[in-house]
Amino acid sequence: MIAAHKVSVAIRSLRIRGMTAQWLYALGLSAILVMLPFAVRLDGRPHADWLQFLGRFHPSLVHLPIGMLVLLPFLELAGTTRLGLREAAGFVLHLALATGAVTLVFGLLLAYGSGVMGATVSRHMWGGIALLIELLACVTVRPAWISGQLQRVYPALLVVSLLTLTWTAHQGGSLSHGSDYLTRYMPGPLQRFFPSASTATDAAYVGSVYMRSIHPILDARCVACHGASKEQAGLRLDLYELLMKGGRDGAVIAPRNPDRSLVLQRVTLSPTDKHFMPAEGHTPLTADEIAALRAWILAGASPTATTIPGIAAAAENADLPLQPVGDYTYLMNEIRQIQRSEGAKLVAVSATPSDGLILRTINVASKFDDTQLARFQRFAPFIVEAELGRTAVNDDCFDTLSKFTNLRALHLEGTAVTGRGLAKLSSLSQLTYLNLSGTKVTSDALVQLKGIPNLRHIYLFETPAEPASADTNRTLRSLR
Amino acid sequence: MKQHRLCTDCENPVTPLDLPIPAAVKQKWAGVETRRRFLGRSGKVLGWAALAGLFGEIGLRSYADGADVKAPSAEGGNNLGLPHFAPKAKRAIYLFMSGGPPQMDLFDYKPNLAAQFNEDMPDSIRGNQQLTGMTAGQAHFPVAPSHWPFGQHGQTGTWVSNLLPYTARIVDDLTIIKTTNTDAINHEPAIMLMNTGNMNAGKPCLGAWLAYGLGSMNDNLPTFVVLQTKTNPKENNQPVSSRLWGSGFLSSEYAGVGLRSGADPVLYLADPAGVDREVRRKMLDTVEEINRQTLAEVGDPETNARIAQYEMAFRMQSSVPELIDLSKEPLSTWDLYGPEAKQPGTFAYNCLLARRMAERGVRFTQIYKRGWDVHDNVVGMLPVLCQETDRGAYALVTDLKRRGLLDDTLVIWASEFGRTVYSQGGLTQDNYGRDHHPRCFTTWMAGGGVRPGITYGETDDYSYNVVKDPVHVRDFNATILHCLGIDHNKFSYKFQGLDQKLTSPVPAYVVQGLLA
Repeated sequence: MIAAHKVSVAIRSLRIRGMTAQWLYALGLSAILVMLPFAVRLDGRPHADWLQFLGRFHPSLVHLPIGMLVLLPFLELAGTTRLGLREAAGFVLHLALATGAVTLVFGLLLAYGSGVMGATVSRHMWGGIALLIELLACVTVRPAWISGQLQRVYPALLVVSLLTLTWTAHQGGSLSHGSDYLTRYMPGPLQRFFPSASTATDAAYVGSVYMRSIHPILDARCVACHGASKEQAGLRLDLYELLMKGGRDGAVIAPRNPDRSLVLQRVTLSPTDKHFMPAEGHTPLTADEIAALRAWILAGASPTATTIPGIAAAAENADLPLQPVGDYTYLMNEIRQIQRSEGAKLVAVSATPSDGLILRTINVASKFDDTQLARFQRFAPFIVEAELGRTAVNDDCFDTLSKFTNLRALHLEGTAVTGRGLAKLSSLSQLTYLNLSGTKVTSDALVQLKGIPNLRHIYLFETPAEPASADTNRTLRSLR
Repeated sequence: MKQHRLCTDCENPVTPLDLPIPAAVKQKWAGVETRRRFLGRSGKVLGWAALAGLFGEIGLRSYADGADVKAPSAEGGNNLGLPHFAPKAKRAIYLFMSGGPPQMDLFDYKPNLAAQFNEDMPDSIRGNQQLTGMTAGQAHFPVAPSHWPFGQHGQTGTWVSNLLPYTARIVDDLTIIKTTNTDAINHEPAIMLMNTGNMNAGKPCLGAWLAYGLGSMNDNLPTFVVLQTKTNPKENNQPVSSRLWGSGFLSSEYAGVGLRSGADPVLYLADPAGVDREVRRKMLDTVEEINRQTLAEVGDPETNARIAQYEMAFRMQSSVPELIDLSKEPLSTWDLYGPEAKQPGTFAYNCLLARRMAERGVRFTQIYKRGWDVHDNVVGMLPVLCQETDRGAYALVTDLKRRGLLDDTLVIWASEFGRTVYSQGGLTQDNYGRDHHPRCFTTWMAGGGVRPGITYGETDDYSYNVVKDPVHVRDFNATILHCLGIDHNKFSYKFQGLDQKLTSPVPAYVVQGLLA
């Protein structure tokens, strides 16, 4: 009896000592993992090719531990009744830990080798590290769980690991497919819960050639990899200051010297060149876009210039990218109500609610006046186009319209508007189209339009201010 | 007396078992005939009927009742999910040059042909093409260079024939497509294909699809209006018929409303003497009540269409007189469109009406101009045709532009096909004829959604085959729908078990090169 007791005490102490050793072991490994990013600093510079070559296996390798981790809870559940599966679960957990560690190393190689940086990159990396530490903890406490000592810790850790896995995988997906990959085609009602992250813009330069012609090119072609979420080569092109600052390889824009500007060099290389940008798999710039970039750099790469010779009028005239206005569907009852009471309609621009609404008055035009217009103020942020042609509104309408902050097109043709108060529209940063044909607007009143930053199409047919030429660009330029 | 087997007036009733039909059928009949079998089957039938009743609101309605599906509703959303994306154009005006204008005499400049006057066109160009009965028998296919010089116009330096001095002024606003091509070589199938996407009658036309999909902007005018240009009896006028602007399997309220080309565009528009507005309204209300009863009894969606058409006619009694009252048009209108625009039924007058309808929210206006079928006497007739249409088309685009309407209106100038470079009949120094040609013809668009000042596509030296960037009729229509915010692949209507589309069944593509 006594001997048996002694043996069991010895075994217990051994087990506890073994446990402690295991804990120490896990702690040590965790510390190494946490130190890893400090040892291998992501400096935004590409390194040896073989690093990248190996690193590029990360995206495919990563699915191995993911699959095993997702399998694990099922094995553990089934293992409560079938012992063989419980044994298998232990094996799978260890294997997941091992493959996870290899994957992490490959991921680091990829990031370090290709010189990628950015908020999403580091979130993905730290997520991976946290996951591995959690798995280490799982491995360590699992024996205690099996022996029935710590019943809650292991399942809780497993759940935390799976949540970490989901989050990290999402960050990784955002890196390879773009951050709006999941939300882009999401049904409208759902999208409300995932407001699209508003990208930083240079508000100060609104209306300049840079904002109208250059920024949209960079935004469409480059910012996915050289932006806030992913900073390849330490270079960000989403803001003017950062564009001019350049990346790890130095400045990328040499004002007045397009041929020495790295941005232009990279996009005009042979598409087969290793350094050709945008990198493989992404759409190259069109000839027009390259010409616009070149002209802009040649003219000094100014963020504020409003006209630059050489940038084609068509490119300069290109429509502003549509700004989403938010979802109005929660207002549907009010919209129905006001349509019934006022007779004017709020028509969806498209099936996507964030495209906004058109205020359409044609059926009640002769009776539609400023009082009625004021009643639509409730929907102001969602109205992108106001069709007020031939209505009974007058200069008072500008008070209401100045609150239509997302207004893109304004029709006032054939109204009693004289232009007094046009200056109030200068708060409308999205307004590109203004039709004042057949009104009493004079050229003196038009001076007030100077403040509207993005106005591109202005119509003054049959007004005292009618220009000799129908060229609306010339009209606008003479105003500025 | 021996009775006939099927005589009903006999002592022993005849059963199908006596009929001279296959034994298998008789056996089947016998199987059905037992009471047990009959009751069993009836039970199942009732079950299916009940299921259909349960699903009726959701599943079957889309098959049975197109009229009930209202296009973009007043409520700011719409049941069809249209437009699919924010459109560049809200409305379209389609100038249809029926008969087939000769592209090489108007837009498709081929200066090298002058040197080949009366030489036979190389066989390799024609390939194994089957020609129409009108020229298939010709022994020679002599090249007939254009009789008229061309000039370069606008900042874009686009080549245009001297026959179109007005159109030449707006080339910087046009998107000229030299490589439009079609499958049909004769008028009726070609014009059906162009308008409805199918050579056979019975499919809805582009305008009907738009009316169905996008709906009306103005409650008091039709969504889709068709204007006919008065024919010139000297011209070779091919017939156009209402199936070109019909609604096919869509509800008939989406069909084009034809306005007459005379001074009175809608007959009996004014109420007869002694009938005032009040009486008319009461009468219509009663008619509607009766129609609603019929609808409830029969459930034919066409009854709905009828009710809608009565109401539209009532509202048009006041909206149409205002539409055609040109007395308030400023002088600048007549300077632009020319004096012809004052005569109802001319092409210029129709173009002016189209502008007025664009202002008033008509979604789709189609103007037909017949007479382009110049099989002979091109030199005699083409100047007349150009003189009739050139200024109107120019004035329409210019007028829309100066009034700020061109930004969201798509103007289309097209025909069912083009004409051959070789002369039909005899070629002389002074005259020639041209046969139908489907492989390439020139069309243009202008305004919302398309890229101004470009010429798209290239044809070979004989303006016979497409060398680069072909635009098939289906692609052409897909591109028009795209400008209006519609993804042609998603815009369908279930009929005869198919998801019918304007551009089906062969895959079609939006021509990205044409887009702004």
